[in-house]
Amino acid sequence: MGTLALRTRGLGKTFRVKRKEAGLSASFRSLWKPNWETKEAVRGIDLTVREGETVAFLGPNGAGKSTTIKMLSGILHPSYGEAEVLGFTPWKEREELAYRIGTVFGQKSQLWYHLPPIDTFELIGTVYELKRDEFAKRRNDLIERFELGPYLHTPVRKLSLGERMRCEIAASMLHRPKLLFMDEPTIGLDAVVKQRIRELIRERNRKEGTTVFLTSHDAGDVESLCSRAIVIHHGGVLLDEPVERMRREVLSRKNVTLKLAEGADPSGLPEIDGAEWEKADGGYCLAVDLKRTTIERVLGELIGRVGFTDVNVEDPPLEEIIKHIYGLKARTEEEEP
Amino acid sequence: MSEARGRWAFARRPAGARWASAGRKAAAVGRIAFRHQLAYKTDFALRGFFLLFILFVFIQLWSAAYGGDFEKVISGFTLKQIVWYLVFTEALTLAAPPVCSRIEEEVKNGDVAIRLVRPQSYLNYHFSVFSSEALTRFAVHLAVGSAIAWPFVGPPDFGYGWFGLLALSAGALTVTFLLLMLVGLCAFWVEETSGLYFVLQKLQFTIGGMLLPIDLMPEWLQRVCAWLPFQAALYFPARMGVQFDGELLTRQLAIQAAWIAVLAIAVNRMYRRGVTKLHVNGG
Repeated sequence: MGTLALRTRGLGKTFRVKRKEAGLSASFRSLWKPNWETKEAVRGIDLTVREGETVAFLGPNGAGKSTTIKMLSGILHPSYGEAEVLGFTPWKEREELAYRIGTVFGQKSQLWYHLPPIDTFELIGTVYELKRDEFAKRRNDLIERFELGPYLHTPVRKLSLGERMRCEIAASMLHRPKLLFMDEPTIGLDAVVKQRIRELIRERNRKEGTTVFLTSHDAGDVESLCSRAIVIHHGGVLLDEPVERMRREVLSRKNVTLKLAEGADPSGLPEIDGAEWEKADGGYCLAVDLKRTTIERVLGELIGRVGFTDVNVEDPPLEEIIKHIYGLKARTEEEEP
Repeated sequence: MSEARGRWAFARRPAGARWASAGRKAAAVGRIAFRHQLAYKTDFALRGFFLLFILFVFIQLWSAAYGGDFEKVISGFTLKQIVWYLVFTEALTLAAPPVCSRIEEEVKNGDVAIRLVRPQSYLNYHFSVFSSEALTRFAVHLAVGSAIAWPFVGPPDFGYGWFGLLALSAGALTVTFLLLMLVGLCAFWVEETSGLYFVLQKLQFTIGGMLLPIDLMPEWLQRVCAWLPFQAALYFPARMGVQFDGELLTRQLAIQAAWIAVLAIAVNRMYRRGVTKLHVNGG
């Protein structure tokens, strides 16, 4: 059993939002008599993560993932509960903890927009009080590994999203954080860049033992990067288990989408064992159960029998997976009253 | 975990080392903010043009008030002193970057998170960016303002006036920063700070002495102004620039220092309280 990287006990965050009905009169009413509503973003969650683990923190939009990461990195103060991250209480010892953690927010940039990434790297070197020679060595190493050389001196505003994200992640690793919080680091990226970023993160975890705590909407991130998955929904933990097991139980589906060739008859689509046809946007989708068949076998059945111009094999969206987990949980609870 | 704490307990370093480290970080942020603002060339040009325009209008107005008489003295000010006074107050006013709207924007779009994950004080960061931008803009505006005032009313030969102006300008900009921060930090509680900013700006314009020296105001209002921080942000340096007085300079520096201390405590307390209320939007 390794050392604890983070631990929370009943950690929760509520906030008040003004509730307003539509229309002008409601706007006036809300001026005099605002109707406040308390929302529970995170509902007393208990988490334990050990050093060196790669944990996927999953959930649909609004489940409380980002709020949890922000509490654990010291940005937000919780409404109740406790947390200890690398021995610090994040919101009380924010600056001290900051030296030891790295953060990547896929939808926010830490790079100075009009300046080349190398300038932000220099700033980070000073802000994290890195020794000059150590910093230069580390920076050069990351530039090489992340292949940042060609655009290191290009203003950030001129970089593509993929190039910028690689710079963002390299920037968050300059100070050798022991724990890396990543909030949707692959959002909006194409498949090739996603894969490259996953490899780079995995490499840091292997080489330096960096603990990775990552939120994502992409089942691919979870499968190729994480050893453990925690699923939260409505602010509470729904599932916490190794990705291997999750893959067997709930990530055992793939969607194969076909774009039929002109003149192909949809009524001639063959019945395939372990797969079910569904109508999808712009084509037909086969929901494949990998516990019963393989992608290879399914494609083999299709080729020559159905005329199609394009085929796409992908993971089902996370929302669908969570619905599936809900279904499984409900069934288990019914069976074990 | 305890071993990790011991090695990284930066807060337990001696105060001198902590201040030196904060200073190095502030200087680094200041340097990068300086380079970053050079990208906004159009903004600089527009601001310079606007400054030329308003100073031209003021010169016409005050020339009419003085009947074009360069010897005439109104409440202790000649026409030349009034015009240069306005150059100094305008240069200082337009030097301040929009801190309030920046903080409000940071809270609204969630970018405040990026500031708070760094081992640097949030206030220290904003002060560094503000100082870097304000000092650059102040220098540019002084040059632009001089370009129009000089041909109309002659060179600014006010003895040690320039020394007085520069000595009080650093404190004046610090007071401005703290006042803007007090309003900007309200964004941690309320959704909109532009109303409060509007009030602050108009107070600076009037009882801060931007449009006319406080000496020209009714006596009761001068007594009120003496108890408010606004005069330390504009009136003190601009008046010292055109009417140097060594003894008064010492007193005004002391008043500025006192306001900086009071406002810094208020800003610090407000930040500490506000950050516990913060709700960061957007993913």
